[in-house]
Amino acid sequence: MFLISMIIWATALLAAVMTVWALTWAIKRGEFRNLRKGAASIFDAGEPIGRQTDYFPSARKGSR
Amino acid sequence: MTQVPEGPAESRLEQISRILIDDSSRVPVLIWFTSSVVWLLLGSLAAMISSLKLHNPDFLGGIEWLTFGRIRPVHLDIVFFGWSSMAAVGALLWLQARLCHVRLPWPLLLSGLAIVWNVGVVVGSVAVLAGHGSSIEYLEFPAYCAPFFAVPALGVLAANIKMYLTKNSEHTYVSQWYLLAATVWLPVLYVTAMLCTYFGLVQGVSQAITNWWFGHNALGLWVTPIAVATAYYLIPKVTGRPVHSYHLSLLGFWTLAIFYNWAGTHHLTGGPLPAWTITVGVVGSMMMFIPVITVAINHHMTMRGVFHMLKTSPTLRFTVFGSVMYTVASFQGSLEALRSHQEITHFTQYTIGHAHLGLYGFFSMIMFGAMYYIFPRVTNNEWSSARLIKVHFWGSAIGVLSYGIGLCWAGWWQGVMMNDPSIPFLQTVEYVKPYLILRSVSGMGMTIAHIAFAISVWRILSRHHFVMSGPTLFTTQRPAWKEFVNEQNEREEMAQ
Repeated sequence: MFLISMIIWATALLAAVMTVWALTWAIKRGEFRNLRKGAASIFDAGEPIGRQTDYFPSARKGSR
Repeated sequence: MTQVPEGPAESRLEQISRILIDDSSRVPVLIWFTSSVVWLLLGSLAAMISSLKLHNPDFLGGIEWLTFGRIRPVHLDIVFFGWSSMAAVGALLWLQARLCHVRLPWPLLLSGLAIVWNVGVVVGSVAVLAGHGSSIEYLEFPAYCAPFFAVPALGVLAANIKMYLTKNSEHTYVSQWYLLAATVWLPVLYVTAMLCTYFGLVQGVSQAITNWWFGHNALGLWVTPIAVATAYYLIPKVTGRPVHSYHLSLLGFWTLAIFYNWAGTHHLTGGPLPAWTITVGVVGSMMMFIPVITVAINHHMTMRGVFHMLKTSPTLRFTVFGSVMYTVASFQGSLEALRSHQEITHFTQYTIGHAHLGLYGFFSMIMFGAMYYIFPRVTNNEWSSARLIKVHFWGSAIGVLSYGIGLCWAGWWQGVMMNDPSIPFLQTVEYVKPYLILRSVSGMGMTIAHIAFAISVWRILSRHHFVMSGPTLFTTQRPAWKEFVNEQNEREEMAQ
């Protein structure tokens, strides 16, 4: 019982420390700088900004 | 006949990279997704039996393993562990691989873990039907089922971390924060709750607190972040427009991480708990307005001016519906935490209405949207029928709205009547009965929608109506791409 209790408290403490560490690490790494570029990071030359990438099966020519 | 995608070499290489990443996730993602769809059908069956029993108590009354006290928890657990969690893991693996620009690691292991998870749901459901379940909501499966979920959850966490540590992308996109956090939170929540509950660490009132700490956070810190992450990827990706305010999206993530964990005790308002524990839950719930408003502003503003795309994109239709329902259900949930509100709605149908607006209207609809986007890209096949998709959407949307609005309305007035000592209790039961019938009819609509979806999934997997260059696949014609990759490799070798 005591061991389980200690494991739970240690896990909770570890989770809290990890959260603070992750936030600090992200700030130092510059994750919160140049957010405009970050927002566009899911686009590329193959699927650029401005191109719709999903349609109903019958919405484009050549499909059923 | 397939063609090499047009455009400059850089564009083609990026497209090839994307398709190779999608390829790498095919087997595990399809196993997690397909399993979830099977559980969705079984969960719907259990839901219909439970719902019919509420206004027709003699329905299947002679079969003890189908009594309400067993079939209703089976519905809940199948929907949470079978449908929601398995769909969430499938979406998570595919999304994280794409966002990290790396191939999915350990596909065989992740496929095996999906099978282990399935065994857990089967064993747990049979145990509950046999009368071996506990009365602790969301933790009804017996303790011996825990390894079937804890081990795969740790495996998914390890794969997620590996992808992040080996990523080829410079930036951590907002969805990745949610995905990483969700995979860390689930094992902590589940293992802690199971140890506390089943090893006698907490009992009585403390056990109820643990129960709702887990129950609320399982929704808010496991399935919610994955659905929000999915919406943050799919809405910009499908519309071709970056997120309206990236600042707000990050604020939304960190405020959810800080505040959600505290909200669970509002489920116990009016119970024999120290008042401060309830107050903590109420405050945590109120603070949730911040992340919810950030997501609402972002998703709405990203869609502004392109709402017409809802007509042409199934993914967008489901995802935007789910996103709107996130705002509605979260606002409702925060207000529901207030003591003055609970005085009326606690122990009424209102709570059930709210729960379905959240887990179905928000989460499930976004997962459907994700599946409509991901299935064609991992199977390299096209959806067979727009009509089936539309039946799915309208059955689900009308079903959940009539279900949620009907039960919330009924529950509110049920609560008002129950608070009036001059009204006999039986009168409140009679008042609610037509709404319980509406619940069954709405559930039937959703079940029909699920059957339509399952047919679509079966067809795309079985290559019925095999189409390799359909509307969602116009950038992913595989065989020609592989030739292109080989050509590129040969050129590089010759250049060296």
